[in-house]
Amino acid sequence: MDWGQLRTIIWLRGRLIRNQWSRSGKLNAILTMIVVGIGYVIAAAGGLGGVLLGAFALAKAPPRDMLVAWDGIVIVFLFFWMIGIVTELQRSETVDISRMLHLPVSLKGIFLVNYVASHLTFSIILFLPAMLGLCLGLVLGRRGAMILMFPLVLGVIFMVTAWTYCLRGWLAALMVNKRRRRAIIAGVTFAFILLSQLPNLLGNLLHNHERHRPGTAKSMPSDQQSSARPAGDEKAPLPPVVLAAHKYVPFLWVGNGAMSLASGNVWPAVLGAAGAFGIGGLGLRRAYRATLRFYRGQAAGKTSVKRPEVAKAAAAGKILLERSFPGVPDEAAALALAFFRSLMRAPEVKMALATNLLMLLIFGAMVLVRRSTGIEDSVKPFIASGAIVFTLLGMSQLMFNQFGFDRSGFRQLVLLPAPRKWILLGKNLAFLPIALGMGLTILAFAALTLHISLTVFLAAGLQLVAAFLLVAMVGNLLSVLVPHRIAPGSLRRTKTSAMTTLLIFASRLLFPTAMIPLFIPPAIGLLMSRVTSLPAAPVNLLFSAVLAGLLALFYKLSLAPLEQLLQRREKQILQVVTEEVE
Amino acid sequence: MTLAIETNDLTRCFGELRAVDDLNLRVEGGTFYGFLGPNGAGKSTTIKMLTGLLAPTRGTMRILGEQVNNPEKAREIKRRVGVVPEELALFENLTAREYLTFVGRMYRLAPATVRERCRELLAMMDLAEQEKKLTLEYSHGMKKKLTLAAALIPNPDLLFLDEPFEGVDAVASRVLRDTLKRCVARGATVFLTSHVLEIVERLCTDVGIIAEGRLVHQSTMDEIRAAGSLEERFLEAVGSDHVERQKLSWLED
Repeated sequence: MDWGQLRTIIWLRGRLIRNQWSRSGKLNAILTMIVVGIGYVIAAAGGLGGVLLGAFALAKAPPRDMLVAWDGIVIVFLFFWMIGIVTELQRSETVDISRMLHLPVSLKGIFLVNYVASHLTFSIILFLPAMLGLCLGLVLGRRGAMILMFPLVLGVIFMVTAWTYCLRGWLAALMVNKRRRRAIIAGVTFAFILLSQLPNLLGNLLHNHERHRPGTAKSMPSDQQSSARPAGDEKAPLPPVVLAAHKYVPFLWVGNGAMSLASGNVWPAVLGAAGAFGIGGLGLRRAYRATLRFYRGQAAGKTSVKRPEVAKAAAAGKILLERSFPGVPDEAAALALAFFRSLMRAPEVKMALATNLLMLLIFGAMVLVRRSTGIEDSVKPFIASGAIVFTLLGMSQLMFNQFGFDRSGFRQLVLLPAPRKWILLGKNLAFLPIALGMGLTILAFAALTLHISLTVFLAAGLQLVAAFLLVAMVGNLLSVLVPHRIAPGSLRRTKTSAMTTLLIFASRLLFPTAMIPLFIPPAIGLLMSRVTSLPAAPVNLLFSAVLAGLLALFYKLSLAPLEQLLQRREKQILQVVTEEVE
Repeated sequence: MTLAIETNDLTRCFGELRAVDDLNLRVEGGTFYGFLGPNGAGKSTTIKMLTGLLAPTRGTMRILGEQVNNPEKAREIKRRVGVVPEELALFENLTAREYLTFVGRMYRLAPATVRERCRELLAMMDLAEQEKKLTLEYSHGMKKKLTLAAALIPNPDLLFLDEPFEGVDAVASRVLRDTLKRCVARGATVFLTSHVLEIVERLCTDVGIIAEGRLVHQSTMDEIRAAGSLEERFLEAVGSDHVERQKLSWLED
């Protein structure tokens, strides 16, 4: 690839970005530019801060502090890098190889351009100046051998980017199969979320374990705690396992190298830099080979085996979409089953629901930790209502944009001869088993851990129905008014105008306010028990039933005006949700 | 003979651009109508307006003798219409059989009828073997065939087909042509757009040519044949001087 071609590719990339911004509206383009500007200012400030930190704060710091400081920077960088991977996973290469190889360019050339372009991420822009600034500051503050921190830091970054590039290439090869592609995107995203939440979860569990262990510092009174702490705890030596980890875990070599250099030993830094460049080189070589294999059609992943007999097998049984519901119009039932089937197969939906479950698990663990402190019975109904709100909050991103996931399927809805209220009812019915399933699971979990009475549990069940109806009504309205296209296999909005983004943000922000009615029955129950001799739980149950009944009536009444609104706006919605991504 | 499609001054603007400009179409019932035009002439925009996928800026339409301004009436008409839009309309997470079952139920067909027609259509379109695949895994041609099957499942009185043969293999194309002919023979009306003049010439009984949003020609195929070929008539209608102008300087030396 010659210089002219490289310049053309850079121009192409810039033009694509510019067009993407301009199509999202002027306001969006301005906001993006402001964010990018802020990013560069932070990068510059990080660089300067790094110099100052190295030259002054760490100039006379003990070796242990050098290790801790560098570990902190590297771990935060890796955390942001991981978030970047998840975001970038759904995007194609900077230069899509399949769109370029019919032109007179070399595979190696495009590969290198893509690899270099993969460094243009927020995590690199934000952290690399800070890291290099810190290296410079340490050279200024400590002089001499600290200059070895430059190759060490660059080596580790090269290693991380090269292997990330290799991982992305491998996943891209696996994702040639469209069905597998979306499952991989969802799976990787979920794995990263789990990975990032793991410290939080483990922290809570360890915290709980420590609290309940007899004789531990936290179980003692505070005056005893201070006497139990070993002298010189602040500067206690690092455990051997931590030091060993810094020798064998490559991304910890930066901290290890800095600590050794501060102690006057240059070899760990030299070997670390050489090792990082070596591992990075291997990663890049492997990535290139994978690209070559992909290009030659020897991509990873098993070849699908043809199953010619499946048609007969499937034709024999009744499929889900042929079923009906008593009391539900046939068209609404067909719509509900089709939507439900689509939802349950969409990896992005599974990902959203799994994330919701994960968050509930983490908060559930926190509740467990605090269980021993003793929660008053009068507070428990409110916790149950809160659990319902939290469950539906996780579902709101799906229910507030019901047509966004249909994409070109929405065209079929416009063409259908069905009353539009059945479309809305069908959409809501499709979400009902998911909401009830998740809500009741969480309620059962809360009931078991907090010893919630059956009456309060039943009341919460009715509140769950009421909350679902409320979210369905609001969701129907927002889906019609603020539809936005979701990229296949992700929860990423595409080509959303600034106004839509603001409205989505406002709807999420106001969600808890809209859920206030849910807390009315337990509040009335509590009030009655305090003012009169009536027990709180039955009053809560009664008013929860009234609330569910009222909302069912409102829901029924809302369908007619919402139908008219959908009828009026269906062509605009079609335009928004079917808009293709570049 | 009643008119299956009738438009009066139908216009659609996109900003300054008049994609369809005062279109006055008359398509008689029971005809096989070919709607032709160069790229960007307004064919797909016209079909989108006729099928309710796009609102007209101005003008009126009558489909199967009914005004489509009233949503209630429009729904009744949709029940008698099958559509293959230019950009396909599939739910990507459903299988072919599930999708056809869904469409059949939405047209209020009896469950046994849905099942029987699904089986026949999947076999006809050679999709039965791929039945377990989700539509997102289908090739463009397979998606097109499935959309065609969905348009045929309600046995409509009027079929709107936007480039129905594009990406469809020769075998399915032949089967489809025969099926469409049988539909017309049974009294249905087919309104199709195609870039392939040979197909239109072979299938259609009536032809309309649109250029720059305006209907520049409308006649029966017999009238066209009497005066020459469809290609000649088409080039004449859209401006055959384009062909003369389109020469590459470096190939002329």
